[in-house]
Amino acid sequence: MLLDAVRRETAADTAPALRSPADAPVRRPAPAASARGIAVTARGLHKGFDGNPVLEGIDLFLPAGGFTAVVGRSGCGKSTLLRLILGLETPTGGRIELQGPEGAVRRSAPPKRIMFQEPRLLPWARVVDNVAVGLAGQGSRAERRQRALAALDEVGLSDKAGQWPATLSGGQRQRVALARALVSGPGLLALDEPLGALDALTRIGMQDLIERIWRAQGFTAVLVTHDVAEAVALADRILVVDAGRIALDLRVDVPRPRRRGDPELAALEGRILDHLLGTPQPA
Amino acid sequence: MRVALSTRSGPPPLFRPVLRLREAAIPWLLPVAILAGWQAAVSAGLVSNRFMPAPLDVARAGIEAARTGELWTNLGVSTLRALAGFAIGGGIGLALGLANGLSRLSERLTDTSVQMVRNVPHLSLIPLVILWFGIGEEAKLFLVALGVFFPIYANTLHGIRSVDPGLVEMGRVYGMSRAELFRRVVLPGALPSIFVGLRYALGIMWLTLIVAETISASSGLGYMAMQAREFMLVDVVVLAILIYAALGKLADALTRQLERRCLSWNPAYRSA
Repeated sequence: MLLDAVRRETAADTAPALRSPADAPVRRPAPAASARGIAVTARGLHKGFDGNPVLEGIDLFLPAGGFTAVVGRSGCGKSTLLRLILGLETPTGGRIELQGPEGAVRRSAPPKRIMFQEPRLLPWARVVDNVAVGLAGQGSRAERRQRALAALDEVGLSDKAGQWPATLSGGQRQRVALARALVSGPGLLALDEPLGALDALTRIGMQDLIERIWRAQGFTAVLVTHDVAEAVALADRILVVDAGRIALDLRVDVPRPRRRGDPELAALEGRILDHLLGTPQPA
Repeated sequence: MRVALSTRSGPPPLFRPVLRLREAAIPWLLPVAILAGWQAAVSAGLVSNRFMPAPLDVARAGIEAARTGELWTNLGVSTLRALAGFAIGGGIGLALGLANGLSRLSERLTDTSVQMVRNVPHLSLIPLVILWFGIGEEAKLFLVALGVFFPIYANTLHGIRSVDPGLVEMGRVYGMSRAELFRRVVLPGALPSIFVGLRYALGIMWLTLIVAETISASSGLGYMAMQAREFMLVDVVVLAILIYAALGKLADALTRQLERRCLSWNPAYRSA
């Protein structure tokens, strides 16, 4: 059902793989329903904890419906950036603005949702009730259950609806967490290294699932990861954060669906890794 | 349930009820063996009947006490006292544990005092309690409530403290109100620990009541045992002790049932 919504792109779409965002034309595969996405603007964003600066001046615009990956070494401030976008932390300086789809009344505006590194499911609630947590009490009980079941179906776990989370595998739990994040039809989905704890094959399956659902639903996706290959495979823009600043802002113009091992992706991955590891880059 | 069982490999279905019976009998092997040995020792004259009556004599005493109704009156009085004291002390302990787990201010205000009082053995208050209340019902209620209060309080507080902060954060991000967060995340998370407190408290409940009734009472199981001692009715004394054992086991079994019901999500409680 989701696959139908995914537009295959023509080969003519293939363009130079790397461009700086400044001169890149707006030629992105704008997902079908980007009317739902939330745009994010950050101006001079600073954040410190107990006087230790973590983010030092971030200026950023994430258009609605885009898929942005934030990569960097651990402790570079990428998770803090994500938490600031979600409003889980307050900035010590600067501003962050979220702009919902035009015309959306504040109360009916699509929510922001997050997927954590761990599934964080309620162990004492059945799988379907865990998904319904994402609806935050909207609608009647039967309606919530219906929507939760539909979301479970989207992640391919409708047969697990009545089970306890403890009986699921790690990958299945993370899929339940994804369903919970998506059930309310979010305008922004923040992914905080959600696949870090999964084995390699499960991770690839999850990446495909996330990409498929993103393309079908058109929310704004922000993925924080330390897996550069994952960032390159999923995102249409990659921000490399280093020492509290955006050190590199790359556009990924490789058409979707992307093939793993694509030379363009590999080249891009190499470039980002070179930057992160501090090896000299060929000009 | 039955489906799951039948898919499991094992002996053919015919033998299964027999096996299950054997499984259920194992915990009772030891008590039965002790009773048999005891009966044999008394019958053989190894133990004097004056100090340790045979199990059959105790059973006879039990039937006699049940027939006159003395047993039921005393049992009823004791159970009522135990439950009333438990409800009062447990209720206050639960409420204060929740309050202190949820509110820093409440904890700072009361926790130090509670910890100080906790270190006083509550049975040492018996002389004082008799001075205050005489040997009436209030004295027993007070002692039982006091004894039950601490394990419930401490374990409730600990349970709330040990709720996964990641889950609480998740609940907040997903827009749960404070009441919802409590009902759906904090309370279920604290429940396993609260149950530990409940089981401790049930043990303390009987212990306190029996001591209190033995020292000062005009009814109840402890009183029945003390009366019997005065008349050298050893079989009734032993009967009272065995009833305590049965009541303790009953309370424990009920808690276990409740645990299995409320904590069925937890793999640690599901089987066994």
